[in-house]
Amino acid sequence: MTESEVFLQQVIYGLSNGMIIALVALGYTMVYGIVELINFAHGDVFTLGGFLALTIVGALGAAAILDPNAAGESSHWLLLFGLVVGAGLFCGVLNMTIDKVVYKPLRRAPKLTQLVAAIGVSFILVNIALFWGGVPMESFGGGNAAAAPKDFPEILEGSNLLGEESNVVLRLEDIAIFAITIPLMVGLTLFVKKSRLGRGMRATAQNPVAAKLMGIDTDRVISATFLIGGFLGGAASVMWSVYNNTISFQMGFRAGMDAFTAAVLGGIGSLPGAMLGGILIGLIRAMSDQYIETRWTNVVVFGVLILILVFRPSGLLGLKQREKV
Amino acid sequence: MLTRRSLSVLALAALLSPAAALGQSPNGANRSAQDSQDIIKIVSSLPRTGSANAQTTSMVNGIKMAIAEVGGAIGSRKIVYEDWDDASPQRGNWDPAIEAQNADKAIGDPTVLAYIGTYNSGAAKISMPKLNAAGIVMVSPANTAPGLTKEGFGEANEPAVYRPSGRINYFRVVPTDDVQGAVAADFAKELGKKKVFVLNDREVYGKGVATIFEKRAREIGLEVVGVDGIDPKASNYKSLVTKMKQAGADVVYFGGTTQTNAGQLAKDIVAGGLRATLIVPDGCYEKAFIEAAGNRALEGRVYITFGGVDPEKLEGKGKEFYENYMKAYGDKPEGYAVYGYEAAKVVIAAMQRLYEAGTPITRATVLEEVGRTKDFSGALGTWSFDANGDTTNRTFSVNTVKDGEFTTVKVVN
Amino acid sequence: MPAAARVAPFSWGQLVVLGGLALVPLLDYAMPSVQLSAPSRWVVVFAVMALGLNIVVGWTGLLNLGIAAFAAVGAYSYGILTCEIYPFQVGFWWGVVLAGLIGAFAGFLLGAPTLRLRGDYLAIVTLGFGEIVQDGLKNLELITKGTQGINPLPAPSFGGDPLASTDVSLWFYLYLGILALVVFLARNLEFSRLGRQLFAVREDELAARCMAIEPDKAKLKAFAMGAALAAVSGALGASVLSSTGEPANYDFQVSILALCIVIVGGIGSITGVLVGAIVMVGLNNVLLPILTQTLQRSGIGSTDNVFSLPDNYKFLIFGLALVLMMRFRPDGIVHSRKAVRK
Repeated sequence: MTESEVFLQQVIYGLSNGMIIALVALGYTMVYGIVELINFAHGDVFTLGGFLALTIVGALGAAAILDPNAAGESSHWLLLFGLVVGAGLFCGVLNMTIDKVVYKPLRRAPKLTQLVAAIGVSFILVNIALFWGGVPMESFGGGNAAAAPKDFPEILEGSNLLGEESNVVLRLEDIAIFAITIPLMVGLTLFVKKSRLGRGMRATAQNPVAAKLMGIDTDRVISATFLIGGFLGGAASVMWSVYNNTISFQMGFRAGMDAFTAAVLGGIGSLPGAMLGGILIGLIRAMSDQYIETRWTNVVVFGVLILILVFRPSGLLGLKQREKV
Repeated sequence: MLTRRSLSVLALAALLSPAAALGQSPNGANRSAQDSQDIIKIVSSLPRTGSANAQTTSMVNGIKMAIAEVGGAIGSRKIVYEDWDDASPQRGNWDPAIEAQNADKAIGDPTVLAYIGTYNSGAAKISMPKLNAAGIVMVSPANTAPGLTKEGFGEANEPAVYRPSGRINYFRVVPTDDVQGAVAADFAKELGKKKVFVLNDREVYGKGVATIFEKRAREIGLEVVGVDGIDPKASNYKSLVTKMKQAGADVVYFGGTTQTNAGQLAKDIVAGGLRATLIVPDGCYEKAFIEAAGNRALEGRVYITFGGVDPEKLEGKGKEFYENYMKAYGDKPEGYAVYGYEAAKVVIAAMQRLYEAGTPITRATVLEEVGRTKDFSGALGTWSFDANGDTTNRTFSVNTVKDGEFTTVKVVN
Repeated sequence: MPAAARVAPFSWGQLVVLGGLALVPLLDYAMPSVQLSAPSRWVVVFAVMALGLNIVVGWTGLLNLGIAAFAAVGAYSYGILTCEIYPFQVGFWWGVVLAGLIGAFAGFLLGAPTLRLRGDYLAIVTLGFGEIVQDGLKNLELITKGTQGINPLPAPSFGGDPLASTDVSLWFYLYLGILALVVFLARNLEFSRLGRQLFAVREDELAARCMAIEPDKAKLKAFAMGAALAAVSGALGASVLSSTGEPANYDFQVSILALCIVIVGGIGSITGVLVGAIVMVGLNNVLLPILTQTLQRSGIGSTDNVFSLPDNYKFLIFGLALVLMMRFRPDGIVHSRKAVRK
């Protein structure tokens, strides 16, 4: 492989991984923007999305999906789309329910109390994912190894689009990530900018009391935020599973940590910031793996983060503002 | 001792002088009562919470079988088995505080005569010196880091540091990684490979076996084109695979386990278009690895070394074990189940020998008798403990995956 | 106001908790099957760490998600300074003290450039620092022995006579004494001039500045003190284990446990932090193991599948406990008069 091929390849991987991180980061940043809660459980909601997707694929039968004769080429994309919507809705509703049951009664409690409650929810969800992996279904290994990572079948055909002889690998999965995350991000941006509910979100984020006085149903706005944030997390979990072909009950940990880092890097509360932050983290990881050493990658990622924050204390695209009192 | 007592009294006289005196007495008082206890307790300390659960469940089943086979008693003394967890939910993996506590608990309970564990070599480093000082026999069914028992592999003070009493109390029924890493390197050469990229998971076991592989690979003339440590929690290794591709590796050795993401690595090697063979150690010799990686990433592309042979291919008593396990649990045992079984078996056999000789069964006699194990005919064949406490069994098999099952391609003795 | 002069060395609540802990070895005598002294040393270790975190999070209002990194710094400093394979071998007492100083220095190094960041930006910096320290310890094998861990490490000693690992109750009393000293110091800080400065900074930085307090300096002092206590706790833990363990033993989950101790116990309250440490470590290291073993003994809990094994419910129980405690005691078990109220 020539140097430029290597670089191009790393850009492809960096962007693909980064887009997924960005999608998860949006969920963190939206919730933070509205209720100032670092939703620790978000990464684990994401995990459950992956488990739901594998359950659906397993129920439909992996063989039927993978057989090119049984179903046409378009059915793969249809399935992928269905999984994104299904897991998205599931995670959205789950996220909203968690908010209703756990966070809402604590809205007036100290911020850190909510944080610990979110940590608690995260543990509960990890346990649910563990049990889910023990469901006696073939896709879960017949329930024998609940804690082991699970294989997620290849939904999109895995050959190299640039030809089998090419050194640079570009697969349908990479394309699919762009094809699904970019419309979601554009749609979200438009929704928050133009729609009535989106305006309500921005107003609530700025000043919940004033928003309420202006007749905005802030409770509904908060619910909607959790719903949308969860939906994006669910969609991301499907993309993650399809891209990595593995899910495990602890997969939300690194994804969540990367996404949280991305959200802060971009400026927490800022939607474009989360997208930019996610893509940057993906790229930094890829470049560090290639040009430094994999074992130093986490150090590089967090070192860059700290450096950036030292010079731009509100993140790359965050607004400079005084802490609310 | 006198100064220590008086100091403790001085320090606490104002508050609680009786507590110090009382607090110290139970150990001493109970130790003399040990012989009169009518139960024999065997405990295991394995990570039961979190990702190693499937493998350890299989091992616990093996231990239970070994106990059931002697009717759960030695003479009139009932064997009580307790399955202790050395992991905590908050860590999701083995927890040093809990492992230390398990060792302390075993020491504090005079009915505990044998300690089966640990699973992780890192955990063994915590409990070994404690149990050694207390003179409790410890048999590990899974630790393979050579430094735990042999000089010249780890730090200069190993293994003496684990033997504060000067005696050996730690035995293992699994062959160690100094053999395993070399077997893997030799096998790579046999396959006609030239350039190896050595990865590890930066944990005690994985790092250790990868280092030995690397050393052996250099010795036998393989070119080591790269060495790196991965983050087991990373979502994928595609970028790393590209780097290995650029380096021209035709073999990738990964010192790690299913839990440290070997399955993902196998997949990314395929997805990243790296035409190289992956070789992994026995930490991946479990069904979970095949489940995690999926067939398409494994078939014809991966080799797994394992100390011993596939449970299904065991002969003699091993075959019996396999059949009984299937009967009892309705499922094939994981690779390490037989080691759990053998570890318990060797302890029980020593106790039975004591019973038959009319010697009282105590911690000290059990420890001594286990150490005397010679030409033991068990599920793993006939073997003895050597002077370091290691098994003389050095059988390794090289396995690959076919149709979703492990198949042995080579047995090295 | 010469407040410090009038403050008793311990509050009633602190006396009750410390006194209660002092009874633990008696329980060992009453119930030999449980053996609480050994795990109770971990209550002390985590209480010291959480008291450090409380200075940062509770009193100064800075969210620190990487306190475990300072415990790692302390543990490895203790390891390098005391282990027989290094040339220093300063022994337990000097090891603990120097570990605390090195921890304070590490806190200063991280805090100086980053403490001006507001709340959650600082949180991610500390989280990132935690990851950097962990990976650094793993990768710098020449100094830290990488994943091997540094061992053996000395037990506490009196006049050159180290405690045996079986001297659990004496060991525990020694640690309890150290904890009492830390509580005493923390209480002095609480009522000192600096303590009042910290509260002022937490409540309103701008107003504090108007009162001629330099928030950056105050924050940095708090951060360094928190780091020092965490480092001491790391050293104490390493001494119990006789090993630094692996770098992964000081990961994010440990920081989270420390944070849970502070908040569940009652943020800002020393008594609360002590209670929190008892509750959380008790849950993790004592109650859950006893619970699952009791279930095993009664025949419940087979290895047939993931659902029938009590161990597999540990995450769930731990998580539920956190959620329920926060739901019904949002201010923690012990409510501090001085707690944050936003």
